[in-house]
Amino acid sequence: MMRTKDMIARGIATCALGLALLPGPAPARPPAASTACTELAHGADLYRAACAMCHGAHLDGNFQTPALTGRFVANWAGAPVSALEAYVHRAMPLMAPGTLSPDDTRAIVAFLLEANNLPQGKTVRVGVRKALACPS
Amino acid sequence: MDTGRILSRRGVFAGGAALGAVTMMAGERVLLPHAASAGDALAPQHRPRLAPLHPREDQITDIKVCIRPFRAAGPRLDVERIGDKTIFHNYGHGGSGWSLSWGSANLVVGKVAATLNRRVAVIGCGIVGLTAALTAQRAGFDVTIYTRDLLPHTRSVRANGSWTPDSRIALTQTAGPAFADQWEQMARFSWATYRTYLGLPGAPIMFEDNYILSDKPFDDRPAPVPPAGAPGRMPRATEDFATYESRIRDIIPAVEDIPEAENPFAAPHARRHSLMIYNFGAYGHLLLSEFHQAGGRIVIREFHSPQDLTALPEKVIINCPGYAARDWWRDDSLIPVRGQTAWLPPRPEAPYGLDYRGAALLSKTDGVMIQAVDLDGLGEMTGVGNSFEHPDPTEAARAIGVFADLFARMPMVGG
Repeated sequence: MMRTKDMIARGIATCALGLALLPGPAPARPPAASTACTELAHGADLYRAACAMCHGAHLDGNFQTPALTGRFVANWAGAPVSALEAYVHRAMPLMAPGTLSPDDTRAIVAFLLEANNLPQGKTVRVGVRKALACPS
Repeated sequence: MDTGRILSRRGVFAGGAALGAVTMMAGERVLLPHAASAGDALAPQHRPRLAPLHPREDQITDIKVCIRPFRAAGPRLDVERIGDKTIFHNYGHGGSGWSLSWGSANLVVGKVAATLNRRVAVIGCGIVGLTAALTAQRAGFDVTIYTRDLLPHTRSVRANGSWTPDSRIALTQTAGPAFADQWEQMARFSWATYRTYLGLPGAPIMFEDNYILSDKPFDDRPAPVPPAGAPGRMPRATEDFATYESRIRDIIPAVEDIPEAENPFAAPHARRHSLMIYNFGAYGHLLLSEFHQAGGRIVIREFHSPQDLTALPEKVIINCPGYAARDWWRDDSLIPVRGQTAWLPPRPEAPYGLDYRGAALLSKTDGVMIQAVDLDGLGEMTGVGNSFEHPDPTEAARAIGVFADLFARMPMVGG
């Protein structure tokens, strides 16, 4: 699995900077992928601002706070992504639950799935090849 | 707070001086009362000595943050049906989860027994879940614990670990007189159960002298009257919180005033009481071992909604999620009350506790615990509504500073 640090770097550097700031024409990609990459970059930014303080910059957690890799994947495997989004929206961030907007919640969950090398979709699916790939 | 008895002249600190004379020969340091005299050296030598503690911020080994699961009406102990399952709730014990755990388990398991089921599931493996599981085993049930984390990783193990059975347990008005009776039943049962764990190897449970220090004379006037009106779910002031300790004063060691001549501390006013403490390492391992030895099973599992429980094979479920009930069971009656403890290396030669200037210190087998209980004069409102479960080094440093300053002002001999 790709290291989380790399994922964060990629999410920000390639999606945000690569798409928005680099000069020249945007790479030829379907509009849906472009939107998804923008959401991932937004999710990465939100994660750093709202989640990383407790769950760690690399989603690795600590003795008190659960990692958002490994057991996190096992725990949500097979569940509707909407259920994961509902949980994040309802319970997180712990110090201010309910403060993430629905759009921000979706972006963070998309980022978490991407960081765990899981495909986007309606269900948390493990062992399925990802369809989305932001340009590197 | 109790006025308590006045210690005799040859009290604890006189004994400390006597032992001090012995330990000086070994090159150790001990605290002497201000007025120690040659006569004190004849005091019985079984009294505990007081080695000084000089806590420093650079000695921190850990900072733990917990969220007390407070409910204005007291812990949730009602029964609920989900599909064909019967759910016996057992959560929301505020700052009294450890202290009331056995008594709360006793109440719940009693109700479970009336269902005539033999198999029971327990959700959660914090101190409330684990004691509920053990109590169910002792009542003859086959018990499976379903939990996201085991005791060392649960919120409850981030407490300070001392007998505080009415710490943010309820609001007096909201909980009503019936809960006071129930609290007393739980407190008495817990106390008696804890006593069965005294004197064991590793000291899972022990008593320690706790000194309450003050710069001003202790004020024994009755507590101020609560604000007018009913508080509902949210506390408004310290006086809204229930205090029930006087109901069990017949079994809890009283607080004693320490005469000025026998007070070795740099604070002019001191009291002492014998405090029961829980040493998390030894006690936690012991309880888990007991559970396994009795044939208990633990399944690591996280539930996303109450409906998930319908998939369990057990029909009877004891629900002990602690603060997690707020998002898992959608229970917004749970109010977070943040607490933080800093841990320094163990100092077994200084086994005592201190309360001073809004900070608390407990010297335990697994470390010296220092807690900012009320540094800003907010009383019991400290941490109410705060679910920031992240260490605050500044808070830890302030609490350590209280005791560093105290010991820097204290007389010592030897060394």
